[in-house]
Amino acid sequence: MNQPSPARLQAGTPRADLAVGLVVVALGLLVLYAAWAIPDSPLYAQVGAKAVPTLVGVILVALGIGLSASAARGGWSGGLEEAMAAPPTNWRALGLLGAGLLVQLALIDWLGFVIAATIQYVLVCAAFGSKRPGRDLAIGVAVTLGAYIAFSKLLGVNIGAGVLEGIL
Amino acid sequence: MDAFAGLAMGFANALTPINLGWALLGCFLGTAIGVLPGIGPALTIALLLPVTFKVEATGAFILFCGVFYGAMYGGSTTSILLNTPGESGSIITALEGAKMARNGRAGPALVTAAVGSFVAGTVGTLGISFIGPVVVELALKLGPAEYFSLMLLCFVTVSAVLGGSALRGLTSLAFGLMLGLVGIDLQTGQPRLTFGVPELLDGVNVVLVAVALFAVGETMHLAWRHLEGNQEVREVGRLWMTASDWRRSLGPWLRGSLLGFPFGVLPAGGTEMPTMLSYYAERKMVRPEHRHEFGTTGAIEGVAGPEAANNAAAAGILVPMLTLGLPTSATAAIMLSAFQSYGIPPGPMLFTQQPVLVWTLIASLYIANVMLVVLNLPLVGLWARILKIPTPQLYAGILVFATIGTYGISNSVTDLVLLYGIGIVAMFMRRFDFPTAPVVIGMILGPMAEQALRQALTISQGDWTTFLTRPISTAILALALLALVGPRLWGAFRRREAA
Amino acid sequence: MSRHLIRRRHMLAGAAALPFLGASARAQGTQRYAALSMFIPAAPGGGWDGLGRAIEQVARPAGLVGSIQFENVGGAGGAVGLPRFVAQRRGRPEALMVAGAVMVGATLTNKSPVTIKDVLPVARLTDESSAIVVPANSPIQDLKGFMDALKAGPGAVAVGGGSAGGIDHILLGLLIKSVGRNAREASYVAFAGGGPAQAAILGGQVKAGISGYSEFAEQIKSGRMRALATSGEKRIDPAVPTLKESGIDIVVGNWRGLFAPPGVSAEARANHARFAAELHALPAWKELLETRGWEDAFMEGTAFEEFLRRDSDATLAVLKDIGLA
Repeated sequence: MNQPSPARLQAGTPRADLAVGLVVVALGLLVLYAAWAIPDSPLYAQVGAKAVPTLVGVILVALGIGLSASAARGGWSGGLEEAMAAPPTNWRALGLLGAGLLVQLALIDWLGFVIAATIQYVLVCAAFGSKRPGRDLAIGVAVTLGAYIAFSKLLGVNIGAGVLEGIL
Repeated sequence: MDAFAGLAMGFANALTPINLGWALLGCFLGTAIGVLPGIGPALTIALLLPVTFKVEATGAFILFCGVFYGAMYGGSTTSILLNTPGESGSIITALEGAKMARNGRAGPALVTAAVGSFVAGTVGTLGISFIGPVVVELALKLGPAEYFSLMLLCFVTVSAVLGGSALRGLTSLAFGLMLGLVGIDLQTGQPRLTFGVPELLDGVNVVLVAVALFAVGETMHLAWRHLEGNQEVREVGRLWMTASDWRRSLGPWLRGSLLGFPFGVLPAGGTEMPTMLSYYAERKMVRPEHRHEFGTTGAIEGVAGPEAANNAAAAGILVPMLTLGLPTSATAAIMLSAFQSYGIPPGPMLFTQQPVLVWTLIASLYIANVMLVVLNLPLVGLWARILKIPTPQLYAGILVFATIGTYGISNSVTDLVLLYGIGIVAMFMRRFDFPTAPVVIGMILGPMAEQALRQALTISQGDWTTFLTRPISTAILALALLALVGPRLWGAFRRREAA
Repeated sequence: MSRHLIRRRHMLAGAAALPFLGASARAQGTQRYAALSMFIPAAPGGGWDGLGRAIEQVARPAGLVGSIQFENVGGAGGAVGLPRFVAQRRGRPEALMVAGAVMVGATLTNKSPVTIKDVLPVARLTDESSAIVVPANSPIQDLKGFMDALKAGPGAVAVGGGSAGGIDHILLGLLIKSVGRNAREASYVAFAGGGPAQAAILGGQVKAGISGYSEFAEQIKSGRMRALATSGEKRIDPAVPTLKESGIDIVVGNWRGLFAPPGVSAEARANHARFAAELHALPAWKELLETRGWEDAFMEGTAFEEFLRRDSDATLAVLKDIGLA
């Protein structure tokens, strides 16, 4: 799904709110498209497989239009206490966190759960301002290894050792 | 055999050291897996099935019951402390529970959840022992038409979590309805909104979505607005409940228990609907001086009620299994297959053919329930200390923890993409003041309501009046209408009185 | 998978087999696989998983396999797991998959690009007859009454069962066709799982129910449901006729069997065939089928391939009629 970029959110609230409204309209249209693509079954002519998805799509489009209209009247999020008191976007933290998520997605199948999750742990700690990556690494290894062992030994669920296969 | 004689025999059997050991092991294991999002009691029991080859039947079922009850206890712990529900019945608990924890009331929230679980477990187990067969016959009278009406009644509860703006609240609800549509349509077998991704054919897991919305979204939002060098110190506060907490919890415990049990007995009921109804009821019935705590600092009623409803419903689920051999939940289905691997045919004659096993199992439920509350109360202090973990390590831990639960079972990167993707959406939802709870409610109720509607219409050959011509359905619809307009009428009436 | 895990599995499997040691002479067979990887396209606890683990329970102590490693990828009647099996195990001689009738229909209704035709059939092992039942207080007394009602108007006979396009639905479609009506007139109510379906039948919410015989067995025995017919070649319950002997030429069952990934050598296929035959010949296997109440439906080689082709064609024809494929 398309998300408005954070830079625009910072700029002007009505514009950001409008973007939200339009995203909801787009989501509704996507649902309508997907509903239309469901093959028609001659069974259940009353309420078939398409009816509810179509309804949900229409509702989303309508709500999106409502939100856009509300944005056009000046928006709503500008007046929020939380938004007004909020500090500026912390790109460093967000970037490190995002990197942590991407590392996990990219590496979990290849390097295995323990390594991928440990890297994620260290990155997320750093995102929140931890100054001691060495200690985080140690904790990360302990936590993920513990989880791995609990899963594979106690429950017999293989959560992917990756390159550590044969060592663990 | 009457229930008292049966129970006496059951307790005599269950109280042997070896059987107590099984119960303890089950409670411990259940609590552990209940804590993890994604891995529930059904899967755990499925993985434990090989023990049925080594252990005699009584021991194995005592173990399974311990796991089942333990998972219900464990699920609420992480809901409260980390805003990470361990199973679907605990999602509603997270609404107020996590807010209480953030405001230095983690201890009382955990205690009211544990004691509430105990009260509800006791009520539920008493229900199994004494009125199970009667209730289940009544439950069979409900068909798809009644279920659809029940779900409409539950939809009323969404009004309790819509937040400041109906427009934004309803958008969240519609987003949840959309997520609920993903997967193969039960009535026609056609894939819907899967966009050609095979992993989506079985739909999106509601616990995954709840964890993404509550925990991952919050973590991301915090990182976005994180101030360097600003270490947030969390208050653990007092651990035990005050006299006022006890007074405020008692009503919700009992109401939640009485609400939850019959829903659990319903063959298409489950644990989620009663938790929603209980939350709605407590929010409406709370004394005016505590009303402002709902949705802000966290109200103890909103933890006590849903948590009791969850546990009573869990007990109720065992009723159709034991009295009729009906696998009405995934856990019950696995337990029934365990019966079969012992060569015990589970069915309407289970009580008469296997009285020793059944009554021992019921007795072990009482024992597990006591064990769990005894185990969990002293742990409250230990659990609450999790909040003392410094912010970086805590949030990194939550993320890794959510990842383990999600990936551990499915082994699917698609699920992780969903977890993080919906987490990002939740971050923006927070920024733009969209409530997240309606997403979960829409996602749970939407698919159930749609299928019940279409089942009912197929049975009635397309006659829509079926919802009004069946008396129970009509009564439930009337109740839904009352819940929808009642509070407003009452408010108008009161204002008129005052004027 | 880790070495430790495999060792743990040895222990489990060894212990699991204890009750059967008496029946089976131990470790007499030729070892067919050193480390077999068994793919289950369903979650733990279901029918395919049960069959896979049962094979381990019998084949390991008999020495047919060194170790078995399981992988469960559940979802959508096997349609989620199947593509993964085909892609990741292609050409591997020591890989097998448990699958069956459910997958044939599921991959068709899902419009799945990968179907059961993309894997190599090894052997059919078990079968489960379906049963047609009515609530005890139903005015329908026997199969004739049911067929007459269908003939008069299939829409008025709401029948409950498992997910749409599954075996239960297909059997209803075949029955309606056999009385000369169109299968799409069916009033089929799909329920999520056996519990809600049985509850709807017991409560009289639907007129009749169709599902695996074993699901209904206890309800039939206790007199809460009346079985009208079973769908197999032979009677399951001596008191309940089969469709075939009632003059309706339909044989349907929830069969389960073993499949190999595509691209394996002829030697490997021959090895699979020998393994299946040897497994089937074990006394412990017979004993296990008995305890579990599974029907022995062993079939291999060209006979199984032929059967699979006919089963797929018949399923496709009915699904087309109903409008689901």
